[in-house]
Amino acid sequence: MTLVDAQLLADLQFWYAREARLLDERRYDLWLETVDVAIRYQVPTRYFTAQADITDFGAWTVDRELAQASDVLLIDDDHAGISKRIERLQSGMAWAEMPPSITRRIVSNIEPGEAQEDGGIEVFSALLAFKSRGPDERSFLTAQRRDLLIPADGDFRLRRRLVIIDDTVLMGENLSIVL
Amino acid sequence: MDVRHDLIERSVAPDASWIRPDIFSDEALYRLEQERIFGRCWLLLGHESQLPEPGSFFRTYMGEEPILVTRTQEGEIRAFLNLCRHRGAQLCHEDRGVAKSFNCRYHGWAYACDGKLLAAPGEQQLYYGELDREEWGLIRVAQVESYKGLVFGNFDPDAPPLADYLGNMAWYLDILLDRRSGGTELLGVQRWRIPANWKIVAENHVGDEYHVGFTHGSQLTRPIESRAAPAPLAREIRPELGHGIGVDIIPEDLSPGERGGFDEEVNEYLRSIAGEMTERLGEMRPRLFPIHGLVFPTLGMVPILNSIRVIHPKGPNEIELWSYCMVDRDAPKRVKEILVQRSVSAFGPAGSFEQDDSANWTGVTRNTAGHQARKHRLNLSMGLGHEGEVDGLRGEVGLTASDINQRGFYLRWVQEMTGGQA
Repeated sequence: MTLVDAQLLADLQFWYAREARLLDERRYDLWLETVDVAIRYQVPTRYFTAQADITDFGAWTVDRELAQASDVLLIDDDHAGISKRIERLQSGMAWAEMPPSITRRIVSNIEPGEAQEDGGIEVFSALLAFKSRGPDERSFLTAQRRDLLIPADGDFRLRRRLVIIDDTVLMGENLSIVL
Repeated sequence: MDVRHDLIERSVAPDASWIRPDIFSDEALYRLEQERIFGRCWLLLGHESQLPEPGSFFRTYMGEEPILVTRTQEGEIRAFLNLCRHRGAQLCHEDRGVAKSFNCRYHGWAYACDGKLLAAPGEQQLYYGELDREEWGLIRVAQVESYKGLVFGNFDPDAPPLADYLGNMAWYLDILLDRRSGGTELLGVQRWRIPANWKIVAENHVGDEYHVGFTHGSQLTRPIESRAAPAPLAREIRPELGHGIGVDIIPEDLSPGERGGFDEEVNEYLRSIAGEMTERLGEMRPRLFPIHGLVFPTLGMVPILNSIRVIHPKGPNEIELWSYCMVDRDAPKRVKEILVQRSVSAFGPAGSFEQDDSANWTGVTRNTAGHQARKHRLNLSMGLGHEGEVDGLRGEVGLTASDINQRGFYLRWVQEMTGGQA
């Protein structure tokens, strides 16, 4: 039995490694080319929440910890929003990233999920992001990414990204880098 | 005069035209702040909308103290130290929710939402029926009061009532809190740690219009020169008591929506409530557009982006910033969504504005801590002696870029730290 298409997994591994490298090398214009115009890029707030009443242990108990529909997120960008975020980084006046942080994104646990009707594919992965602004300002962050990739011109484009940070209180001063 | 008194008075000039860097890093001053500032001042706990039903609760802090805020079965809002009276274990571990009771996980003592001790395991056999439940309820925050939806707590049973504490600041807060009959609601919260002293963050909110043109250069289309120059219709206002607010007086030819640069859907909403606002606030206040402000010591606000925040101190060199969005409760859903998204894009840990603020606050805190840096003073003199009054506005008024409100903040700090009542 084959659990997953080996070619698909290899393609995804390549895609995520390249994406991480483009961001770490701050090649933002090239990275933006991998982002679909219909992108929704969200980082929800997260809360410690009672789980005692849960009886369906197959359910998404993580979702209960996340910001509800009317709630405030940490990032809620569409394509214009993410483009402005990149423009800011390139403005020469984004002091939180001047000089630019040295970063490393490690993407692992890549797991293809449901294929969508339009050929898109849901992908889960784990992110470890390191950021250094010198010995006094170093931070690590881990998160789950829930992405939707759309096939385009023999490649994938990022249509949706939900970054679920593994903290309720964000450490490390700010979120000045793209996750 | 004790040594601490000396240190306090040495930290701030008599007219607050300068401060010493010690104020951002000194451990002894910080410990004293916990007693004299956070132990005596009214601190924001949250908003009534966060406690929609009996049993609703959320956790927060007052100074460094972990606090549990609840709505009782009778509908009253109460606040307690979040610890069990038996051995001091942390009682509630969830950030928010609805509970019938709070049960300590250590030995099982159980408390009602009003703080009463409901039961302790073995009350008859182990305590011989001698445990006085009345005496061993949760430790209440001495005073809890609401001001038009915002809920405040005060550890000091002798502190003046909240309305007196707010003074003239309430008149300005009403522009946000009392402009509609349905009031407001608080959404969120974003929470993040910044390695910065709480006062540099507080003073940024109370009156620092000056930094906007430079710190937020990446976000401004207007040239820095014109931004930093005194704008004739914008004012820094020091209502009294160490609070501060910056407002734009909206020119007659602009609507509030145009001044705020909102989407058309929001402008339409603002036009639709203009009559109600005038009815509730009079002619003058609907023409005031609050930009930023602070209720002493740690309730910050950036109303132009619907942001309300609390600066929780975590030692002299660290804060945990909690940032909420505040919107009119009866605004259409779509208007709320637009305002929240707009707020999040600019403020919060990933906001295009606030990322750069936090980088500055961190740098101030770290680089003023050195022995040599502490020998020198930091400048707080902008606009000193040029304060004035404006017809119809309450309190002293400075030009847009002025340290008037920061001076007010530090003078209040000295007053509280040396034990004087406001």
